[in-house]
Amino acid sequence: MRRLALAPVPPDPDLRALVRARLGDLGLALRVLAEDVTGLDASIDAVTVDLRGTVVLVLIGTAGRDLELLAHALAQRAWVREHMGDWLKLAPALGIESDAPVRLLLLAPAFGPRSLAAARAVDPEGIDLAVYRCVRNGAETDVLLEPVRLSGGDVAGHEDPTDVTAVPFRTGLTDADLGLSAAERRLFD
Amino acid sequence: MLHHFIPDAEPPPRSRGGEPSIVVVPIGARDVLRAAFVWNLAFEIAREGASADIVGPDDGDPTALWPYVGAGPLGTGVTIAAAHGPADLLRAARDLADARTAESTHGIVLARVPPGWLGTAADAGTLLRWSLLFSAADRRDLLETYALAKRLLCAAPSMRIGVVIHGVRRVAEAERAFSRLAQAARRHLGARIASYGLLVDDLHLVRSIASRRPVGLVHPQSPAARALRDVARLILADACGDGDA
Repeated sequence: MRRLALAPVPPDPDLRALVRARLGDLGLALRVLAEDVTGLDASIDAVTVDLRGTVVLVLIGTAGRDLELLAHALAQRAWVREHMGDWLKLAPALGIESDAPVRLLLLAPAFGPRSLAAARAVDPEGIDLAVYRCVRNGAETDVLLEPVRLSGGDVAGHEDPTDVTAVPFRTGLTDADLGLSAAERRLFD
Repeated sequence: MLHHFIPDAEPPPRSRGGEPSIVVVPIGARDVLRAAFVWNLAFEIAREGASADIVGPDDGDPTALWPYVGAGPLGTGVTIAAAHGPADLLRAARDLADARTAESTHGIVLARVPPGWLGTAADAGTLLRWSLLFSAADRRDLLETYALAKRLLCAAPSMRIGVVIHGVRRVAEAERAFSRLAQAARRHLGARIASYGLLVDDLHLVRSIASRRPVGLVHPQSPAARALRDVARLILADACGDGDA
């Protein structure tokens, strides 16, 4: 049996396309209305609607920024709620159920305990979480999605297999930017 | 009271004649968590009766970090300056502080400096006197915070560096994290960093980001608001020159 090999995360548009193609793996039947939508001064990766007409916002985060992703998503959801009326007037054929709550589907390489606790406390029924892994599929990259259970028993945050040295810090600096010696790093081991 | 862990602070940069102190806060363009701390902290500073302003560079969409530009609750303000580097930005912060001098007896101007600018921060000269860093207790955040302190001290060796530990559940966890930072700074940078306490991990903070209303306004008695208030008081005490006892 071939072993799965992790692949680098592709650029945003490619990652969005890969995730879009795999949303069915999460057991969600979502129709994508628009991608890369400018919401509250930032982008929403996809605005989708499920079979019941509920709007589901899909937001994809990067490693180590899962709590930031949650905050961003909550802000975007508040913004979308405010603008739903406009959308319904402009495009009544979208199939959106005006009274339905706006749900969130957040995808990240991993969710830490703080993000899980926050999501569970804020809205466990309205927020779905899933981890994504980029893997090599021959010469191409594919993405694997796995749901993270928020309600009913223990939640699993998943170990993050990403090479953290390549992931920027919250400041935007990378590990190489820090310019720290091995001796300095050892002090924090 | 969530207080200093180690009372080892150098004499703080006092406000001269009531002039607000300028505090450098390195925050990346997408670091909404630290931006939320600073924005909520400004509100708590204002609630203590001081002026509280945030000034940041025009390096993208400011509302990605701040909920508004201009005047906010209790007279807090967010100002975006057309700055091309730390010297420009801190001059704008000084101008803001000067303007506030006539109105207020004391206060704080929190200057959001992009971390990538710290390499040229020395250009800001004497305006670079005091910085506040926010760090979680995990190794990665502590490394990042230490690296920021190192950059700041390279630019201004006598700069006062204050640290707030966040995302912890217990005081002991914050104490350990701060202790590691303080030891590393003392051993490798020859510097003493000051503790400005801790911010507890509180969901109200996440909610405040979404609702765009300060925690202290919506949930004034929440652990997050009380912890922010303690941090604000420590900062103001130092700014007024009575925190170096």
